[in-house]
Amino acid sequence: MLRDIITKEIQDMIMSPRFVFTFLLCTILILLSIYTGINNYQAEQKEYSAAVALNRKNLESQQSYGTLAGLGTKINRKPQVLSTVVNGVQEAVGRVATVNIAYDPSMIDSKYSSSPIFAIFGALDLIFIVKIVLSLFAILFTYDAIVGEKERGTLKLALSNRIPRDRLILGKAIGGFISLLIPLVIPVVLGLLILMIYPNISLSGDDWLRLGIICVMFLLYLSVFFTLGLFVSARTSRSSTSFLLLLFIWVTFVTIIPKAAIMIAGQINPIPSVHEITAQKDAYLQEIQKEAGVEQTKYFKDNPRPKEPDKIAKWNEDIRKWAEDLQQSLTGKIDEKNAAIERDYQTKMRGQQRLAVNLSRISPASALMFSSMSLARTGINEHERFLNSVKTYKPIFTKWINEKMIRSLNLEGGQQPKPELDDMPQHEFMPERFSDSFSRIMPDLVLMVFLIILFFIGAYVSFIRYDVR
Amino acid sequence: MLEAKNLTMKYEDGLLALDHLNFKVEPGEIFCMFGANGAGKTTTINLFLNFIQPTEGTALIEGIDITKEPLKSKDYVSFVSENVMLYDNFSAFQNISYFSKLAGKRNLTKDDYAQVFKRVGLQEEAFNMRTKKFSKGMRQKLGIAIAIVKDAPNIILDEPTSGLDPRSGQEFLELLLELRDKGNSIFMSSHDIFRAKYIADNVGFMMKGKMVMLQSKEELKGQDLNKLYVEYMQEHTDSE
Repeated sequence: MLRDIITKEIQDMIMSPRFVFTFLLCTILILLSIYTGINNYQAEQKEYSAAVALNRKNLESQQSYGTLAGLGTKINRKPQVLSTVVNGVQEAVGRVATVNIAYDPSMIDSKYSSSPIFAIFGALDLIFIVKIVLSLFAILFTYDAIVGEKERGTLKLALSNRIPRDRLILGKAIGGFISLLIPLVIPVVLGLLILMIYPNISLSGDDWLRLGIICVMFLLYLSVFFTLGLFVSARTSRSSTSFLLLLFIWVTFVTIIPKAAIMIAGQINPIPSVHEITAQKDAYLQEIQKEAGVEQTKYFKDNPRPKEPDKIAKWNEDIRKWAEDLQQSLTGKIDEKNAAIERDYQTKMRGQQRLAVNLSRISPASALMFSSMSLARTGINEHERFLNSVKTYKPIFTKWINEKMIRSLNLEGGQQPKPELDDMPQHEFMPERFSDSFSRIMPDLVLMVFLIILFFIGAYVSFIRYDVR
Repeated sequence: MLEAKNLTMKYEDGLLALDHLNFKVEPGEIFCMFGANGAGKTTTINLFLNFIQPTEGTALIEGIDITKEPLKSKDYVSFVSENVMLYDNFSAFQNISYFSKLAGKRNLTKDDYAQVFKRVGLQEEAFNMRTKKFSKGMRQKLGIAIAIVKDAPNIILDEPTSGLDPRSGQEFLELLLELRDKGNSIFMSSHDIFRAKYIADNVGFMMKGKMVMLQSKEELKGQDLNKLYVEYMQEHTDSE
């Protein structure tokens, strides 16, 4: 009997105009999003290769270590292949960081900063389709699942037979969900096939695993709205009421809660602005520069240039050593101070972020975004990990360039040696491991499963008591 | 056999929808229940189908108390509603196939369904037609076809002839007579005294949850049922 109910649900849904419309729209949108994602990724890969080559060329073209120290090196973030399905924050947060001896590195040159038009509507990626379009379809498929049958009178006719209500609701839920999956699964499988056969797109086993879990998160997200639809449909006596109520909940979940959570977190845990932080760092830099000036004056006063020519070489060597020590000590102080300011800022920011994330997690839409981005490694966490790796690299680079700079110091005013880059330390970044990403998405996964169970139990209990008259 | 014993239904808001209702519908008998809107006809049907629980009394289907064994009791009853609304995207075949499976009739073939369709007077071209294109009369015929396929000894009909054109109405009543002659117990609520008086074996008048008159065909012989109904209603309204 359960199979008959499931089959009937699927047949009824598949033969309805809304299914045809949903299927066509989903196929077009999903394939378009994956195609757009592939194109964007390929363009980013090209840009990345070009930027890395240009940086190398720039470094090699520097005439001295001094200019190299000021110019610094550019660290480009490698595009993530899973950005083809989950664009994440990468287009908003910048793709490159400059590491030099003076300033604390930060990510710049985002796609949005170079083409602000993209910031207006955001990216049409697969997660957008699932978050907005498919969740709406989940509602469209279920808002009248129970109440619609009541209005039609078919519920009365069905329940005039020897059919337990729990089996009927279970059959409706399974059949309805399978019907909803068809417009998602078929285009997604087609999209993944395109992803597999497309040239220059190579997904590792880890990527496929991540993609698989992302698809599971999609299913869970849709299940939340599906069971919610069933629940509301089993609590109302008119399908128009059910639809309006669901639409209200959808708007609240998808748009209001995530935005409100960020605003509330900002009010509860305020943090200084980036400008304030930069001002603090600049003030300290000036202080250090002043200190360096004083030290320099004092040193030359205490150690005047000897008149005897045989002592000049030693005097030069002493200066070089003194300058290297001073430089290392002052840049060390700057780095230390900057790191302290940054640490404080990061702690406050992370606190605010954590609060915003936890508050917004009430919404399954936020849970979907956080988990998918974590799995695709295109989210805030991966961005922060990358930025931290650049910040860790900064003192290594500074130490190297300081040594090189002082060693190449020519106090006689002659030509400085051209920088040699062979022993320049390279920035290394290890993308997050799957196990770490997975443990990060656990709260979102648990939350969605909890909501599904809650809504399904709600629908089940409501239907058992449902007034079918 | 259908039987109501002191069947009473009082809603949470205090409304007494049924007040100690008693009647019996024997096999091979048609019982027509008349009454104005809100008299308690549909409440009686809802109680027999276990859509609501009686506050007092019992409803028995083939001697089975529907409150004690609701699922079992449903094996012995078919239901035809006032407006048979089925799955619009399905054809008549698909609809009858689904509902017959729910009724536990799993081994019926398309030919079996076609025979029932012919029996209820559904044209052959309608078999594969989506029911969204069906007229009210066709829907009612399909509804009774679903009831026939279930092959239950009792049939409950909720105002089945309302809105039917004279020919469809007549055809429908003839079908009920055929089912009665085969030994089915038929309970029918109706406003349609003109049509129902020709087929009813027993007639009950309902008013404000009470059965104010219950007479057999023999007792009604020679009487104008329509006039009798108006008089009863008038009399009971005046007495309040």
